[in-house]
Amino acid sequence: MQTTRLTRDEVKSLYVFRRSMIQTVGTCIGHQRRAVLDVVHHLFLKMLGKKTFVLQSPLAYFYRATRNASLNLRRDRQHETDLQVSQSWFVHPSGNLDEVLNLQQALRDLPEEQRETVFLKVWSGLTLLEISEITQTPLNTVASRYRYALEKLRERLGKRLQTKG
Amino acid sequence: MAFYDEDTERYLHEFRPQTIRELELAPRQRKVSLRQLTAAAAVVVCAGGIFWVTCRELKHSNEAANVQTPKVSLTSQRRHRTTVALTKLALSDNEGFETLLTEESRKSLPNFQEEQSALKILAKD
Repeated sequence: MQTTRLTRDEVKSLYVFRRSMIQTVGTCIGHQRRAVLDVVHHLFLKMLGKKTFVLQSPLAYFYRATRNASLNLRRDRQHETDLQVSQSWFVHPSGNLDEVLNLQQALRDLPEEQRETVFLKVWSGLTLLEISEITQTPLNTVASRYRYALEKLRERLGKRLQTKG
Repeated sequence: MAFYDEDTERYLHEFRPQTIRELELAPRQRKVSLRQLTAAAAVVVCAGGIFWVTCRELKHSNEAANVQTPKVSLTSQRRHRTTVALTKLALSDNEGFETLLTEESRKSLPNFQEEQSALKILAKD
């Protein structure tokens, strides 16, 4: 398997360019957004402090690292009650918080795999092929998850979508 | 590729994720390990020891050279001068040569001209 050694600057630039991916993965896996982001931030600072060897593509490596950090945090805090339900993950141009919270609730109701696919496709700007590579999932499965997720979101957000249309 | 609900996609794209903060990079500090410090100290001690030993040996050899060289040269010169001078004197001035021998023998041998001399007493006997 090909091994890539990343320099400090490469880690930093990946963090900057893939911030949205890191954020969305952290957000969709661990619902305590701030705590997840702190963990991910700490993870990257640790990576910057030492020589990082990547066995796959750098993007896939960072996705796995972020995902694992988020999952660890969720496991550690599963006994805690999430009191930050109203914390917003997104910003809407209109500044309407209700709209944001409604979308968040609809995303929360999705199965985790579907939610993750939507986050990576819509807010991280990855293609379905890239998502299948970094999540090590067949392309058809990724496409199906995305399609089902959009259908469910449309059902949940139906009235709002109609008013927009 | 499958057809996706474009309206829903467009609606979702209206939202922007909250931005996350920049990485706060601390200035890089070079850590010096205990092993490196020990190695450096060992090198310094070894180098100092070698320097000290070398200086000491050089000093000793210089002193030895300063002491031995004149000794050898003085002795050889004196011997050479004496031999040449005595040969010349013996060839040219026999009486002078005898006088010189007498003076030299008086310097190196005990004086039996004195009253308490053991040789004088023996000579009388």
